[in-house]
Amino acid sequence: MDEELTSLFVNECRDQLLAMEDGLLCLEQDPENADSIGAIFRAAHTIKGGAGVVECQFMERFTHKVENVLDKLRNGELPVSGELCTLILECCDHLGALLEVFANGLPQPAPEVQARGDVLLNRLTERFLLDAPTAASEVHLPVEHADEVETSGGGIVNTDAWHISIRFGTEVLKYGMDPLSFLHYLCSLGEITAIETITDGMPPAGLMDPECCYLGFEIHFQTRASKAQIEQVFEFVRDDCTLHILPPNSKIDEYLKLIDQLPEDSMRLGEILVRAGALTQSELDDGLRAQCRARQSADDSPSIGRVLVEQNVVHQVVVEAAASRQAAVGEKKTVEARMIRVHADKLDHLIDLVGEMVISGAGANLLAQRSGQSELLESTSVLLRLVEDIRDAALQLRMVQIGETFNRFNRVVRDASLEMGKSIELVITGAETELDKSVVEKLGDPLMHLVRNAIDHGIEAAEVRMARGKSPTGTLRLNACHDSGSVVIEVIDDGGGLPKEKIRQKAIDKGLIDAGATLSDNELVNLIFEAGFSTAEQVTNISGRGVGMDVVRRNIQSLRGSINVDNTEGQGATFTIRLPLTLAIIDGFLTGVGRAAYVVPLESVVECIELSEVGEKRNYLNLRGEVLPFLRLREVFAIGGELPARQNVVIVQFAGQKAGLVVDTLLGEFQTVIKPLGTLFKHLRGVGGATILGSGEVALILDVPALVKRVSSLETLSHRKLSPATH
Amino acid sequence: MAKTIFLVDDSATILLSVSNILRKAGFAVEKAANAEEAMKKFSASVKVDLLITDLNMPGMNGIELIKKVRNLPLYRFLPILFLTTESQQSRKVEAKAAGASGWIVKPATADDLLHTIKLVIK
Repeated sequence: MDEELTSLFVNECRDQLLAMEDGLLCLEQDPENADSIGAIFRAAHTIKGGAGVVECQFMERFTHKVENVLDKLRNGELPVSGELCTLILECCDHLGALLEVFANGLPQPAPEVQARGDVLLNRLTERFLLDAPTAASEVHLPVEHADEVETSGGGIVNTDAWHISIRFGTEVLKYGMDPLSFLHYLCSLGEITAIETITDGMPPAGLMDPECCYLGFEIHFQTRASKAQIEQVFEFVRDDCTLHILPPNSKIDEYLKLIDQLPEDSMRLGEILVRAGALTQSELDDGLRAQCRARQSADDSPSIGRVLVEQNVVHQVVVEAAASRQAAVGEKKTVEARMIRVHADKLDHLIDLVGEMVISGAGANLLAQRSGQSELLESTSVLLRLVEDIRDAALQLRMVQIGETFNRFNRVVRDASLEMGKSIELVITGAETELDKSVVEKLGDPLMHLVRNAIDHGIEAAEVRMARGKSPTGTLRLNACHDSGSVVIEVIDDGGGLPKEKIRQKAIDKGLIDAGATLSDNELVNLIFEAGFSTAEQVTNISGRGVGMDVVRRNIQSLRGSINVDNTEGQGATFTIRLPLTLAIIDGFLTGVGRAAYVVPLESVVECIELSEVGEKRNYLNLRGEVLPFLRLREVFAIGGELPARQNVVIVQFAGQKAGLVVDTLLGEFQTVIKPLGTLFKHLRGVGGATILGSGEVALILDVPALVKRVSSLETLSHRKLSPATH
Repeated sequence: MAKTIFLVDDSATILLSVSNILRKAGFAVEKAANAEEAMKKFSASVKVDLLITDLNMPGMNGIELIKKVRNLPLYRFLPILFLTTESQQSRKVEAKAAGASGWIVKPATADDLLHTIKLVIK
């Protein structure tokens, strides 16, 4: 199976499942909404179609059943009900599970997954499908019309070829079909041994409409194909044309009947059939003599032709009027849906190239400055500005709206509030706020945790809310906005807020603070982000799965973001996440050690001090009465060379812990284009990436969390070594 | 010169798989993910020998698209096929009335697809 196709299908399916879910949630709110039903059906339909293409039968089968129910819903045969929505939502979940099975390349879902699917299908069938028309009744029109033509009597015409008689409808050209292409196609089934073009329908030139088809054909056709196959050739025009197919060795009566049925003069037709090789003259004569009834049916009908033309004119006018009205609507829609789907790799490559361009632009600028030519300087500075614009535009390409991530929580809130028996309304604002795609992807889990926490611990049960004088329905808000170069995401609930006293007690119990410590309210509530902190008295299904808020903070920090909480007890809590706009370019702090350059992400830098009279062996210093452990980068990266007269310490902070990094020189702030290191360097600890300086030299970007961890582990190690000696 | 087939479907999976089949068979392929985008190309008089469109699409649906294309003078005689399933007989009639030449029943094998295409373009 084509890998590209498979991954495309998996991605598309995920989107469609989300669309389905959104539609179902909308429908639950507004059962009359036909647009939602349409959207849900379309999503299911697309999934089924795609599953068929990638030959994922288990998905196709399952979706087919779901689609049947949705089809009934769409046709108004089924009412919208909570039960139905819930069941279809469960089906969505199951489809998600099946999709994972497929994405993992397994040929079949595991038995328990299969069983779950069967249960769902049974429920669907029992509740919503039982009196449905069976699929069989909708199947293809029966192909065999042969019986109708079969009449007794008369001899058999002695030929081994089929006879096809066709009169095309006048409109056939207007439907984009060329009679010739049917004949061409017929040739691929067998051999046309004789053909006669019937032009009897052709009106006088003055009345002729050049866009109408007036032709018919009598074809003598030799083939091994079945009648069904031949009929299939004309399937698209069968409704608009007169088609007769006589199998080889048909009875003479059938030919006569054919002649009777055709509008042309029967004598002439007879001649044509003889010429086409269908009949011999004697067969025809015998037949005609035996059958000498009068024929009244041969009234020609030019009037009908005129009526047709007239009808066509009317039709044309109506269609045009309708079309022009639609055009206005259509153009508006075009503006909304102008999207291009691009492979993420291509974007990454572009960002890479732009990064290169930023670097070489800086290099060129450097050279220009050195040369001192003012004209050159001017042109490079213009170039530099353009490069910056291009960089910003390129980074913009990776930006996606956060709305999709937020919308997922509609379902979460619905399910959770059902489960908890709470009534909760989710309000989403700022859904159009954009941030880097890779950030959005990693934001899902922490957000999920916060939302579940808010539902579980934040928003009170309806009775409690009433007693507190609040509306019985709790409100949970998800908000996003831009704020000075970063993105702010807020999870706001109007629940009970965080219990300060409980937090204080817990923090004391856990040894996070001293019993007598004075903390501001803000400092106090932010203690919940410390490791090992959880105030829930009872572990519920919704949150409290042993993953504390410290994990949420760590997740956010790994995105170089921060999180804190604002709390008003009794009124609710607001969790605020602050994230950088992009992960591809950061503000860095450039330092030098020996001849090498290192970049420390600026936001982790606390301060810089000079390293003064420290013994060679010591690896900590006194920072205003605090012990500050430090690492000598010269040692960490094994850089030789003379020690400079003065060394500096860059004090960095991660997860509340400070550490010093000893460097030779401080070179200042630096716009850093992050280049990932190759797989060869995967095992390197302490280095997070690389960047290229304006001079073309490479500088490594330090992985501050890893270095801080290393400092603290060294610390405990030396403590252990030191302990016996000091006592 | 290679014949150009214009493919319109909101499913990226279908777009890719069908265009792969068509390209392999020697056709040039134009694609659009929705009817609006397709109309734009048609309005710009793109060279097309056959239009294949899905019927179920968000925004303008396939039937509207067929009607509109059929009403453009340049494409009055353009063969138009639509993708459909067995269960959609009524839509078949509707699409035919809108000016479609014929249909392709999903799921279709590559052979089915190419045979049907051969039926409408020489």
